[in-house]
Amino acid sequence: MTFNSLESLKGTNRDAAINLLYRLADDELIIGHRNSEWTGHAPILEADIAFSSMAQDEMGHAQAYYQLLHQLGERDPDTLAFGRKPREYRCASLVCLPKGDWGFSVLRQFLYDASETVRLTALCGGSLVPLAQLAGKLRGEEKYHLMHGRSWVLRLGNGTDKSHAAMQAALDFAYPHALGLFEPTEYDEPLAQTGISPREDELRRQWESAVAPVLADARLTVPGEAKPFYGGRVGQHSDGLGELLESMQLVYKIDPTAKW
Amino acid sequence: MTDTQWNVFEVFHQQARGEPHVHVGSIHAPDAEMALVLAKEQYSRRQACVNLWVVPAEAILATAYENDDIFERGTDKSYRESWGYKTPKTIHGDGTA
Repeated sequence: MTFNSLESLKGTNRDAAINLLYRLADDELIIGHRNSEWTGHAPILEADIAFSSMAQDEMGHAQAYYQLLHQLGERDPDTLAFGRKPREYRCASLVCLPKGDWGFSVLRQFLYDASETVRLTALCGGSLVPLAQLAGKLRGEEKYHLMHGRSWVLRLGNGTDKSHAAMQAALDFAYPHALGLFEPTEYDEPLAQTGISPREDELRRQWESAVAPVLADARLTVPGEAKPFYGGRVGQHSDGLGELLESMQLVYKIDPTAKW
Repeated sequence: MTDTQWNVFEVFHQQARGEPHVHVGSIHAPDAEMALVLAKEQYSRRQACVNLWVVPAEAILATAYENDDIFERGTDKSYRESWGYKTPKTIHGDGTA
Protein backbone atom coordinates (compact mmCIF):
# COMPACT_ATOMS: atom_id res chain seq x y z
CA MET A 1 0.00 0.00 0.00
CA THR A 2 1.31 3.44 -0.91
CA PHE A 3 -0.21 6.83 -0.16
CA ASN A 4 1.24 9.29 -2.64
CA SER A 5 -0.54 12.25 -1.09
CA LEU A 6 -2.07 13.20 2.25
CA GLU A 7 -5.40 13.56 0.48
CA SER A 8 -5.39 9.87 -0.44
CA LEU A 9 -5.76 8.95 3.26
CA LYS A 10 -9.34 8.04 4.21
CA GLY A 11 -11.23 7.02 7.33
CA THR A 12 -9.23 5.22 10.04
CA ASN A 13 -5.99 5.55 8.08
CA ARG A 14 -6.43 9.30 8.01
CA ASP A 15 -7.19 9.45 11.75
CA ALA A 16 -4.16 7.25 12.42
CA ALA A 17 -1.84 9.48 10.38
CA ILE A 18 -3.15 12.61 12.13
CA ASN A 19 -2.56 11.01 15.52
CA LEU A 20 0.97 9.95 14.54
CA LEU A 21 1.80 13.45 13.28
CA TYR A 22 0.58 15.04 16.53
CA ARG A 23 2.79 12.67 18.53
CA LEU A 24 5.82 13.44 16.35
CA ALA A 25 5.22 17.19 16.32
CA ASP A 26 4.38 17.65 20.00
CA ASP A 27 7.43 15.66 21.16
CA GLU A 28 9.66 17.88 19.01
CA LEU A 29 8.01 21.13 20.10
CA ILE A 30 8.17 20.38 23.81
CA ILE A 31 11.71 18.99 23.93
CA GLY A 32 12.77 21.92 21.75
CA HIS A 33 11.30 24.30 24.29
CA ARG A 34 12.84 22.44 27.25
CA ASN A 35 16.28 22.40 25.65
CA SER A 36 15.99 26.09 24.77
CA GLU A 37 15.79 26.75 28.51
CA TRP A 38 19.59 26.16 28.53
CA THR A 39 20.22 29.11 26.22
CA GLY A 40 22.51 31.40 28.19
CA HIS A 41 22.85 28.86 31.02
CA ALA A 42 24.80 25.88 29.62
CA PRO A 43 28.12 25.03 31.33
CA ILE A 44 30.30 26.50 28.58
CA LEU A 45 29.75 28.76 25.59
CA GLU A 46 30.35 26.03 23.00
CA ALA A 47 27.82 23.71 24.67
CA ASP A 48 25.32 26.58 24.92
CA ILE A 49 25.51 27.31 21.19
CA ALA A 50 25.25 23.63 20.17
CA PHE A 51 22.34 22.87 22.49
CA SER A 52 20.47 26.04 21.48
CA SER A 53 20.95 25.25 17.80
CA MET A 54 19.57 21.77 18.30
CA ALA A 55 16.57 23.21 20.15
CA GLN A 56 15.92 25.35 17.07
CA ASP A 57 16.22 22.23 14.89
CA GLU A 58 13.55 20.45 16.96
CA MET A 59 11.22 23.46 16.72
CA GLY A 60 11.74 23.41 12.96
CA HIS A 61 10.86 19.72 12.81
CA ALA A 62 7.71 20.39 14.84
CA GLN A 63 6.73 23.15 12.43
CA ALA A 64 7.19 20.80 9.45
CA TYR A 65 4.96 18.15 11.04
CA TYR A 66 2.33 20.77 11.97
CA GLN A 67 2.40 21.89 8.34
CA LEU A 68 1.46 18.35 7.23
CA LEU A 69 -1.33 18.37 9.83
CA HIS A 70 -2.55 21.67 8.43
CA GLN A 71 -2.68 20.09 4.96
CA LEU A 72 -4.81 17.36 6.51
CA GLY A 73 -7.34 19.96 7.63
CA GLU A 74 -6.04 20.72 11.14
CA ARG A 75 -5.48 24.29 12.28
CA ASP A 76 -2.44 26.34 11.17
CA PRO A 77 0.98 25.54 12.68
CA ASP A 78 1.11 28.56 15.02
CA THR A 79 -2.30 27.80 16.45
CA LEU A 80 -1.37 24.14 16.90
CA ALA A 81 1.86 25.06 18.68
CA PHE A 82 0.55 27.88 20.85
CA GLY A 83 -3.23 27.70 20.88
CA ARG A 84 -3.99 24.34 22.48
CA LYS A 85 -4.70 23.23 26.05
CA PRO A 86 -2.39 20.71 27.78
CA ARG A 87 -4.79 17.77 27.30
CA GLU A 88 -4.77 18.35 23.53
CA TYR A 89 -1.02 17.66 23.31
CA ARG A 90 0.15 14.13 22.45
CA CYS A 91 3.74 14.34 23.70
CA ALA A 92 5.34 11.71 25.96
CA SER A 93 6.23 12.50 29.57
CA LEU A 94 9.99 12.36 28.85
CA VAL A 95 9.97 15.62 26.89
CA CYS A 96 7.84 17.44 29.49
CA LEU A 97 10.18 16.85 32.43
CA PRO A 98 11.92 19.98 33.76
CA LYS A 99 15.42 20.47 32.37
CA GLY A 100 17.11 19.39 35.61
CA ASP A 101 20.91 19.50 35.62
CA TRP A 102 23.13 19.41 32.53
CA GLY A 103 23.75 15.67 32.88
CA PHE A 104 20.03 14.94 32.89
CA SER A 105 19.36 17.20 29.93
CA VAL A 106 22.06 15.67 27.72
CA LEU A 107 21.02 12.15 28.76
CA ARG A 108 17.40 12.93 27.90
CA GLN A 109 18.52 14.45 24.62
CA PHE A 110 20.43 11.24 23.83
CA LEU A 111 17.53 8.92 24.75
CA TYR A 112 15.08 11.08 22.83
CA ASP A 113 17.17 11.54 19.71
CA ALA A 114 17.93 7.81 19.61
CA SER A 115 14.16 7.27 19.43
CA GLU A 116 13.86 9.94 16.73
CA THR A 117 16.56 8.21 14.69
CA VAL A 118 14.76 4.86 14.96
CA ARG A 119 11.44 6.48 14.02
CA LEU A 120 12.76 8.54 11.11
CA THR A 121 14.59 5.53 9.67
CA ALA A 122 11.32 3.58 9.75
CA LEU A 123 9.23 6.47 8.38
CA CYS A 124 11.67 6.97 5.49
CA GLY A 125 10.71 3.55 4.22
CA GLY A 126 7.04 4.04 5.12
CA SER A 127 4.07 4.08 2.76
CA LEU A 128 2.95 7.67 3.39
CA VAL A 129 5.09 9.41 0.78
CA PRO A 130 4.91 13.04 2.04
CA LEU A 131 5.91 11.88 5.53
CA ALA A 132 8.64 9.59 4.16
CA GLN A 133 10.07 12.52 2.19
CA LEU A 134 10.02 14.81 5.23
CA ALA A 135 11.63 12.12 7.41
CA GLY A 136 14.41 11.83 4.83
CA LYS A 137 15.07 15.56 5.04
CA LEU A 138 15.22 15.58 8.87
CA ARG A 139 17.51 12.58 9.28
CA GLY A 140 20.79 14.48 8.88
CA GLU A 141 20.01 16.82 11.76
CA GLU A 142 18.87 13.95 13.95
CA LYS A 143 22.09 12.07 13.14
CA TYR A 144 24.06 15.02 14.49
CA HIS A 145 21.83 15.28 17.57
CA LEU A 146 22.57 11.64 18.32
CA MET A 147 26.33 12.15 17.88
CA HIS A 148 26.11 15.09 20.29
CA GLY A 149 24.08 13.25 22.93
CA ARG A 150 26.25 10.12 22.67
CA SER A 151 29.45 12.15 23.06
CA TRP A 152 28.22 13.80 26.27
CA VAL A 153 26.79 10.61 27.78
CA LEU A 154 30.06 8.73 27.19
CA ARG A 155 32.18 11.48 28.72
CA LEU A 156 30.02 12.14 31.77
CA GLY A 157 29.41 8.42 32.38
CA ASN A 158 33.16 7.75 32.22
CA GLY A 159 34.19 11.04 33.84
CA THR A 160 34.58 11.33 37.60
CA ASP A 161 32.83 9.34 40.35
CA LYS A 162 30.57 12.36 40.83
CA SER A 163 29.63 12.66 37.16
CA HIS A 164 29.09 8.91 36.87
CA ALA A 165 26.78 8.84 39.90
CA ALA A 166 24.82 11.82 38.55
CA MET A 167 24.38 10.14 35.17
CA GLN A 168 23.24 6.86 36.71
CA ALA A 169 20.69 8.75 38.82
CA ALA A 170 19.55 10.62 35.70
CA LEU A 171 19.17 7.34 33.79
CA ASP A 172 17.22 5.67 36.62
CA PHE A 173 14.86 8.64 36.58
CA ALA A 174 14.60 9.16 32.81
CA TYR A 175 14.43 5.58 31.54
CA PRO A 176 10.80 4.79 32.49
CA HIS A 177 9.77 8.11 30.93
CA ALA A 178 11.76 7.28 27.78
CA LEU A 179 9.85 3.98 27.51
CA GLY A 180 6.71 6.12 27.47
CA LEU A 181 7.82 7.38 24.03
CA PHE A 182 6.62 3.98 22.79
CA GLU A 183 3.22 4.01 24.47
CA PRO A 184 0.94 1.83 22.32
CA THR A 185 -2.03 3.64 20.80
CA GLU A 186 -5.29 2.54 19.25
CA TYR A 187 -3.68 3.35 15.88
CA ASP A 188 -0.78 0.87 16.16
CA GLU A 189 -2.54 -1.71 13.99
CA PRO A 190 -3.76 0.54 11.14
CA LEU A 191 -0.37 2.30 11.00
CA ALA A 192 1.48 -1.03 10.84
CA GLN A 193 -0.96 -2.69 8.44
CA THR A 194 -0.81 0.19 5.97
CA GLY A 195 2.99 0.36 6.29
CA ILE A 196 2.94 4.00 7.41
CA SER A 197 4.85 3.27 10.64
CA PRO A 198 5.89 0.14 12.57
CA ARG A 199 4.12 -0.80 15.79
CA GLU A 200 5.34 0.99 18.94
CA ASP A 201 6.62 -2.24 20.55
CA GLU A 202 8.75 -2.89 17.45
CA LEU A 203 10.18 0.65 17.60
CA ARG A 204 10.86 0.23 21.31
CA ARG A 205 12.81 -2.97 20.63
CA GLN A 206 14.92 -1.18 18.01
CA TRP A 207 15.49 1.75 20.37
CA GLU A 208 16.58 -0.49 23.22
CA SER A 209 19.12 -2.18 20.91
CA ALA A 210 20.38 1.24 19.84
CA VAL A 211 20.85 2.82 23.28
CA ALA A 212 22.08 -0.26 25.20
CA PRO A 213 25.66 -0.38 23.79
CA VAL A 214 26.20 3.36 24.33
CA LEU A 215 24.91 3.21 27.91
CA ALA A 216 27.14 0.16 28.55
CA ASP A 217 30.16 2.04 27.14
CA ALA A 218 29.26 4.87 29.52
CA ARG A 219 29.29 2.28 32.39
CA LEU A 220 25.61 3.02 33.06
CA THR A 221 23.16 0.32 34.09
CA VAL A 222 19.72 0.23 32.50
CA PRO A 223 17.10 -0.06 35.29
CA GLY A 224 15.86 -3.64 35.39
CA GLU A 225 12.16 -3.34 36.09
CA ALA A 226 11.30 0.03 34.63
CA LYS A 227 7.55 0.58 34.44
CA PRO A 228 6.87 2.88 31.48
CA PHE A 229 5.18 6.24 32.08
CA TYR A 230 2.17 6.13 29.78
CA GLY A 231 -0.67 8.60 29.28
CA GLY A 232 1.04 11.31 27.25
CA ARG A 233 -0.22 9.91 23.94
CA VAL A 234 -3.82 10.29 25.12
CA GLY A 235 -3.36 13.73 26.62
CA GLN A 236 -2.78 12.76 30.26
CA HIS A 237 0.15 14.89 31.41
CA SER A 238 1.73 15.93 34.68
CA ASP A 239 1.51 19.57 35.84
CA GLY A 240 4.93 20.16 34.26
CA LEU A 241 3.44 20.46 30.78
CA GLY A 242 0.80 22.95 31.92
CA GLU A 243 3.46 25.18 33.46
CA LEU A 244 5.65 24.90 30.37
CA LEU A 245 2.76 25.83 28.06
CA GLU A 246 1.81 28.79 30.23
CA SER A 247 5.29 30.16 29.77
CA MET A 248 5.58 29.18 26.08
CA GLN A 249 2.16 30.55 25.11
CA LEU A 250 2.37 33.76 27.14
CA VAL A 251 3.31 36.11 24.31
CA TYR A 252 1.06 34.40 21.75
CA LYS A 253 -1.97 34.74 23.98
CA ILE A 254 -1.55 38.51 24.34
CA ASP A 255 -2.45 38.83 20.65
CA PRO A 256 -2.93 35.60 18.67
CA THR A 257 -3.41 37.56 15.43
CA ALA A 258 -0.16 39.53 15.71
CA LYS A 259 2.13 39.35 12.65
CA TRP A 260 5.84 38.87 13.36
CA MET B 1 44.26 30.11 40.08
CA THR B 2 44.04 26.90 38.06
CA ASP B 3 42.86 27.30 34.47
CA THR B 4 39.59 25.36 34.30
CA GLN B 5 39.15 25.93 30.57
CA TRP B 6 39.25 22.94 28.28
CA ASN B 7 41.95 22.54 25.65
CA VAL B 8 41.90 24.77 22.61
CA PHE B 9 41.42 23.28 19.15
CA GLU B 10 41.79 25.26 15.92
CA VAL B 11 38.91 24.68 13.50
CA PHE B 12 39.21 24.42 9.71
CA HIS B 13 36.11 24.54 7.56
CA GLN B 14 35.58 23.23 4.01
CA GLN B 15 32.71 24.70 1.99
CA ALA B 16 32.67 22.13 -0.82
CA ARG B 17 34.59 19.01 -1.75
CA GLY B 18 37.89 19.90 -3.40
CA GLU B 19 37.98 23.36 -1.82
CA PRO B 20 40.75 24.12 0.70
CA HIS B 21 40.01 23.86 4.42
CA VAL B 22 40.03 27.39 5.78
CA HIS B 23 40.82 28.34 9.37
CA VAL B 24 37.67 29.82 10.92
CA GLY B 25 38.50 30.07 14.62
CA SER B 26 39.07 28.01 17.71
CA ILE B 27 37.01 26.03 20.16
CA HIS B 28 37.33 24.69 23.71
CA ALA B 29 36.75 20.96 24.13
CA PRO B 30 37.95 18.13 26.39
CA ASP B 31 39.16 16.06 23.41
CA ALA B 32 39.26 16.05 19.61
CA GLU B 33 36.02 14.15 19.00
CA MET B 34 34.06 16.50 21.27
CA ALA B 35 35.77 19.43 19.53
CA LEU B 36 34.32 18.22 16.21
CA VAL B 37 30.86 17.83 17.74
CA LEU B 38 30.89 21.33 19.22
CA ALA B 39 32.60 22.94 16.22
CA LYS B 40 29.82 21.70 13.95
CA GLU B 41 27.25 24.06 15.49
CA GLN B 42 29.76 26.80 16.24
CA TYR B 43 31.15 27.10 12.71
CA SER B 44 28.74 25.55 10.23
CA ARG B 45 25.35 26.75 11.40
CA ARG B 46 25.34 29.72 9.03
CA GLN B 47 27.40 28.61 6.04
CA ALA B 48 27.59 25.57 3.80
CA CYS B 49 30.00 22.92 5.00
CA VAL B 50 30.99 19.43 3.90
CA ASN B 51 33.94 18.77 6.20
CA LEU B 52 35.58 20.07 9.36
CA TRP B 53 39.08 19.59 10.74
CA VAL B 54 40.08 20.21 14.34
CA VAL B 55 43.72 20.44 15.35
CA PRO B 56 45.04 20.79 18.91
CA ALA B 57 46.30 24.37 19.14
CA GLU B 58 49.41 23.10 20.93
CA ALA B 59 50.29 21.03 17.83
CA ILE B 60 50.87 24.21 15.86
CA LEU B 61 54.36 25.62 15.79
CA ALA B 62 54.32 29.27 14.82
CA THR B 63 56.97 31.82 13.92
CA ALA B 64 57.47 34.65 16.39
CA TYR B 65 56.21 38.07 15.38
CA GLU B 66 59.48 39.56 16.62
CA ASN B 67 61.08 37.65 13.75
CA ASP B 68 58.67 38.92 11.12
CA ASP B 69 61.60 40.62 9.44
CA ILE B 70 62.51 37.21 8.03
CA PHE B 71 59.63 37.69 5.60
CA GLU B 72 60.86 41.02 4.34
CA ARG B 73 62.49 41.15 0.91
CA GLY B 74 65.93 42.63 1.16
CA THR B 75 66.24 43.01 -2.60
CA ASP B 76 63.88 43.12 -5.57
CA LYS B 77 62.23 39.69 -5.90
CA SER B 78 59.58 40.65 -8.42
CA TYR B 79 60.96 37.95 -10.76
CA ARG B 80 59.32 35.42 -8.43
CA GLU B 81 55.85 36.86 -8.96
CA SER B 82 54.20 34.73 -11.57
CA TRP B 83 51.76 37.21 -13.10
CA GLY B 84 49.79 35.96 -16.04
CA TYR B 85 49.51 32.35 -14.90
CA LYS B 86 46.13 30.87 -14.08
CA THR B 87 46.28 29.86 -10.42
CA PRO B 88 43.48 27.44 -9.59
CA LYS B 89 42.44 26.92 -6.01
CA THR B 90 42.01 23.22 -6.66
CA ILE B 91 43.88 20.76 -8.81
CA HIS B 92 41.98 17.82 -10.24
CA GLY B 93 43.52 14.51 -11.24
CA ASP B 94 43.48 15.49 -14.91
CA GLY B 95 45.34 18.72 -14.21
CA THR B 96 42.32 20.96 -14.80
CA ALA B 97 41.18 23.49 -12.26
